[in-house]
Formats: sequence, C-alpha cells, structure tokens
Amino acid sequence: MTVSSPRRVLSGAGAILMAPVALVARLLDPPLSALQRVGGTNGMAAFFLLPNMAVFGIFVLFPLVINIIYSMTGGTALFLTDRTFVGAAQYQRLFDCRSYVDPKSCTDDLFWTAVWNTAGFVVVQVVFMVVVALVTALVLNRDLKARSFWRAVFFFPVLLSPVVVGLVWRWILQRQGLLNFGLYELGLTPVNWLVERNWAFAAAVGVSIWAHVGFYALILLAGLQAIPKDLYEAAEMDGTRPARVFWRITLPLLAPNLLVVLVLVLIRAVQIFDEVYVLTGGGPGTATLYLTQYIYEVGFASFLRNPGLASAASILMGAVLIVLTLFQLGIARRNEMRGKR
Amino acid sequence: MSRITLTDVSRAYGQVKVLHDINLDIQDGELIVFVGPSGCGKSTLLRLIAGLDRPTRGKIAINGQDVTRVAAADRGLAMVFQSYALYPHMSVRQNLAFGLENARMPKPEIEQRIAEAARMLEIEPYLDRRPGQLSGGQRQRVAIGRAIVRNPTAFLLDEPLSNLDAELRISTRAELAALHERLSATMIYVTHDQIEAMTLADRIVVLRAGRIEQVGTPLDLYNKPANLFVAGFIGAPRMNFLPAAVFPGSAGATIGIRPQHLRRADDGESTLKAKVMLIEQLGSETVVHGDADGHRLLAVLPGQQGLETGEEVMLAYDEENLHIFDENGLRAD
Ligand SMILES: Nc1ncnc2c1ncn2[C@@H]1O[C@H](COP(=O)(O)OP(=O)(O)OP(=O)(O)O)[C@@H](O)[C@H]1O
Ligand SMILES: [Mg+2]
Repeated sequence: MTVSSPRRVLSGAGAILMAPVALVARLLDPPLSALQRVGGTNGMAAFFLLPNMAVFGIFVLFPLVINIIYSMTGGTALFLTDRTFVGAAQYQRLFDCRSYVDPKSCTDDLFWTAVWNTAGFVVVQVVFMVVVALVTALVLNRDLKARSFWRAVFFFPVLLSPVVVGLVWRWILQRQGLLNFGLYELGLTPVNWLVERNWAFAAAVGVSIWAHVGFYALILLAGLQAIPKDLYEAAEMDGTRPARVFWRITLPLLAPNLLVVLVLVLIRAVQIFDEVYVLTGGGPGTATLYLTQYIYEVGFASFLRNPGLASAASILMGAVLIVLTLFQLGIARRNEMRGKR
Repeated sequence: MSRITLTDVSRAYGQVKVLHDINLDIQDGELIVFVGPSGCGKSTLLRLIAGLDRPTRGKIAINGQDVTRVAAADRGLAMVFQSYALYPHMSVRQNLAFGLENARMPKPEIEQRIAEAARMLEIEPYLDRRPGQLSGGQRQRVAIGRAIVRNPTAFLLDEPLSNLDAELRISTRAELAALHERLSATMIYVTHDQIEAMTLADRIVVLRAGRIEQVGTPLDLYNKPANLFVAGFIGAPRMNFLPAAVFPGSAGATIGIRPQHLRRADDGESTLKAKVMLIEQLGSETVVHGDADGHRLLAVLPGQQGLETGEEVMLAYDEENLHIFDENGLRAD
C-alpha cells in the first residue's frame, strides 16, 4: 500500500500527542497503586474527589453556612466575632408588615418594594422571554440564507458580560444617548427612557431579554431540530394548515424543551441584578429595585449597612430558588426517562 | 380512478441532476414498483408525484389534469413513509383522524372511516394507544391505516417494509398484495429489494442513476431484460455474464445465463467446463461457485450434488436461456 489510510495517520498523530500523557501516567502509577493498596477502591474515589469537594466546600458550602449564621446576628460589624446573636429578629423585621401588599406599611419597606418589583419583573420578563425565544427559534429553524450567521448574531449577546450589556444599553437609552439622538434627527421628541418609571421597567425587561434570549432560543432550536422532518411531510400530505401544524405538531413536541426553558428563565429572572443595576441603578427612585440589588445594597453599600438583614433576605430568596430548582430537576429527570422509552 | 402521467420529469439539486427526463404512464388500479439501487432517485421520484417536492422540469398529470404546481394535499394522494411518520404525541385514533379533521369532515363520518380501516387492518385494540406503545408491525399498519381513511386516488409507499424483521416483512408483503386487490386502488411502491418488487408488482420500473432502465411486468424483466443492468439486478442469485467467445458460435459481446439455467451435462450437450471453487449446500439445492476459463460462474443445481471443491464439472444449458447483449450492454435480439 502506498497511501496510508486517514485512520492510520490520525492514530499516528494521536500517538505523538499521547506520548507525554503516557509518560506522566507511568510516573504516577506506582504511588497511586500503593495508595490504592492502603485505601482500597473507595478510598481512591475519595482521594480523587477531594480537590473538588474542597473547592465546593470553601466557595459554596462554607459561605452558605456562614450566611445562615449571619442572618441570626445583628449590628453593622463585618466580622462574625464582633456581631451579637439576635435569633430570628432579622426575619421578624423583614416580615413585620401590616399588609404585605403595601410596602409602606412594613418596617423594612425597601424589602417589600424589591419583592413586589421582582414579582412584577418575573411575570412580564418570563412571558416575553419565552415567546421571543420561541419566535427566534422558529425563524432560525427555517431555511434562511446565512442561517449560521443569524444564529451567531442572536447568540452573541449571551457571551457578553452583564456589565457590558448594561453599559452599552445605557449609552443607547440615556437622556443624550444614541436612541434620543436618532429620534431628534428624525424630528421626533426624545424620551427620557431611563428616568420614566414605565420606560425604565420596559428597558430592564427588554435589555435582560436581549442579553439572554439567544441561549434559550438555542435550546428551543435544538428541540425543533429533533422533530423529525417527515412528520411535517406527513402533515403536508394530510393537508394541514400552517397554524394547525404549529399548534398540533410543533408545540406539543416542543413542550418538554419549552418547560425546561420556562423554569430556567424563571430561576434567572428571580435573580436579576447586574445588567439592570448598571442600566438603571434601581431607579428612577426604587422603580427597578430588585431583590438581589436590595440584598447587595443592604449588605455592602448602603449607609444603613445591615449584613444580618441582607443575609436573612438572601436566605428567603434562596428558599424560593431551591423550590424552583427542584422543580426543574424533576422535569429534567422526567424528560430523560421519556427519552429512554 | 387515477392515472398518473409523468412527462420529461427532471429534478436537480443545484448542479446535481438526480432525475433525468422520466416518462412514465401509471395505469388506474395498477401496483407499480420503483426498484433500483440505493441513491438512484426512487424516493425523489415518489416525492415529486406526492407533491412534497417540485420537478425542475417536466409535467406531472393525474387523470389528464396537470398537477405539477398543485399542493400535496390537493392531489388526492396518500403516502406511507418508510419511518411511518406517525404523530408520536397522538393516539392511533387521533393519527387516523388528523387528516380528515383538516378536511373538515363531519365527526360521525370520521368515526365510521376509522372503524372501517381499523377493522380491515386489525388495529382496533390499539386505537387508544400512542405509536410509541406499538410494535413495528402494528405501527406499520397504523401508517397504512392513516392512508386508507383518506380514501385516496392513489397510495404512495416508500420502502414501507424496510423497518420490519424478515418474517414480518414476508407476511406484511402478502397482506399488502391482498389489500391492493381489495381496494383496487393505484399503488406506487418503492423498494430496493428486487424480490419484493417481483412478488408485488403488476409492473416494475427499474431505475438507475436517475434514469429508467426498463419498465415491464416482473416476468418481462426476468425473461427479457433490456440491458446488462436489469439482467444483473433482477433475479437471485445474479445472472452470470461471460464473454461471447466462451460460447462457441455465439453472437453479441456478452452472454448472460441465470445460475438456475445451468445443469450437470449429459453426453453430447453444449457445455461449459468449470472448476468448482466453493459449494454451498442448501439441502433443496446446491449453489456451486465455479471458475470457467478465469470467469466466475455460479450454478444453482437441484437437490444435493456429490461434488467436491477442485473438481471439474461440465455444465449444460439450453440455447433459449442465453441472453445475448451487444457491446453497449443492450439486449441483442
Ligand atoms: N435534498 C437533497 N439535496 C441534495 N441531494 C439530494 C437531496 N435529496 C436527495 N438527493 C440525492 O438524490 C439522489 C437520489 O436520492 P433518493 O433519496 O431519491 O434515492 P433512493 O433511490 O430513494 O435511495 P434509497 O434506496 O437509499 O432510499 C441521491 O444521490 C441523493 O444524494
Ligand atoms: Mg429512498
């Protein structure tokens, strides 16, 4: 044979690349074998898991526990040793309201303002996000020219840092920003987008959708592409009108993916912070003040610094997120089982 | 009533021509089979007739009416897909009803048609199951049922048996033949299996690389293949091809003889001498792989033959069983 097969060439290159790995493996083998003789197979598992467990413990588990302890202490001091134990007082303070729907009747009115702002944001943002993601996925699933290009365009903002997203949109939307400049050039009246309550809310919703929709559209696009083409051909033979194809075939078959997207969007909407904080700073007034920003400001930034209160609020928010996450895991498991069947 | 006429139908994907000037007249009530090797354009041709795809050139007519630009749903045809393409989230009943609901058929009539088809195909017990809860054979029936309820002028079937195991394939093949008899509807059936084609077809269309090689009844194709390709494609095992020089006093360039048309020679017969290379004993018959002057030669001999590898064997044939092809590979007579 004069020409070596591609596979052989590949395995040749592979062998060269693997040589250092093989060398390291040979060097590591004696000490690891010795260790296994001492610790047994389960001991080896523990040994390999240890680094990861340590990272998780230091950066996730430990802060979580500390946070629970903080939420039961009072004062403005930062170090736990300087703080006084107050039991459930911080929680009592958060829940001290004559009426929960009226933040002004609460001891901590800002917390309830943030809660209701977040609730409103979540409802509107989740609905629009899912719809926009679905429409984007449907469009990207068609036989467009330069389809990969458009997919990249929609996915690109997902890769941006939220701070960059917030800054870019502030340049566009601020009083003397790009949008108003355009309106002015067209002879239209400029609007103070970030200063009027409703516009600021719309901007927060719109920008957060713009920043993340590509990710969810991608999940839905994967779902759409998993629907066999011949189902659509069967529907075509059956004389199905396009709207009915969508409602009776596309949507039911996309339902598992839609549910996943819905819960993921929900979880992220509850945690909304960075891009909106950079965009509006929670303003005008407290119009776009959301829970995470409240926690951040009470914990670190405000004059009335109260780390205990911030911890208590964050634990309440964590509880909500845990419920949503369990829900999402349940769905994921169900989808997986359906996939196996 | 449906007579389907294709006139100069061509299909190209970009620069690649997949079908070249297909001319074909499919008679009413006929079961016509498109057969050919993988990639020859069978499915493409079927999809053009279905209306799922449009020809780049040429005309398709149903009962004399030009339907080349008519939507798939308005051609009155029904298709059975190789993958069945059943709607996985709907029950069998909903699958059957879907197309009828699209046509705004009254509920009672839908019910009646489903009941009728379900009885005919013996799928009544599964009507409320989902396709995922059915076996391959049951799914296949549902797919046929979905076509039947629409009462189409013609059925289009793209390799409908290829996902079934060998045994089920044979029994379903027989049922399809019976169904065709019963419905007396036009059926266009695609397969790459020449035995399926031979057993089912009223007429067979042999395709190769986007061109029709021959159209005819199964026995036409078997007895008088128009060229080397058809001769080699129809019949199993494959026809032997030998240079004419091997046969004393023969015309043409290539001579074909089917393995079944060779027998052990008695004295004084016209014979071929072959060296036995391999023997396959099937009990009822014996397949002998031989070497005749450096040419491979296959013979299917009746019963169990006392032959040994390496032995020389004299094989006889009848002149009328020889197929003579000219230097272009076309049948000479
Ligand atoms: N959408 C398409 N774009 C480009 N080429 C295509 C397309 N569809 C089919 N072809 C080509 O057309 C040729 C015929 O395809 P077709 O599916 O009709 O073959 P077939 O005879 O049905 O084969 P098989 O027995 O494997 O199903 C093939 O070479 C295929 O690659
Ligand atoms: Mg095919």
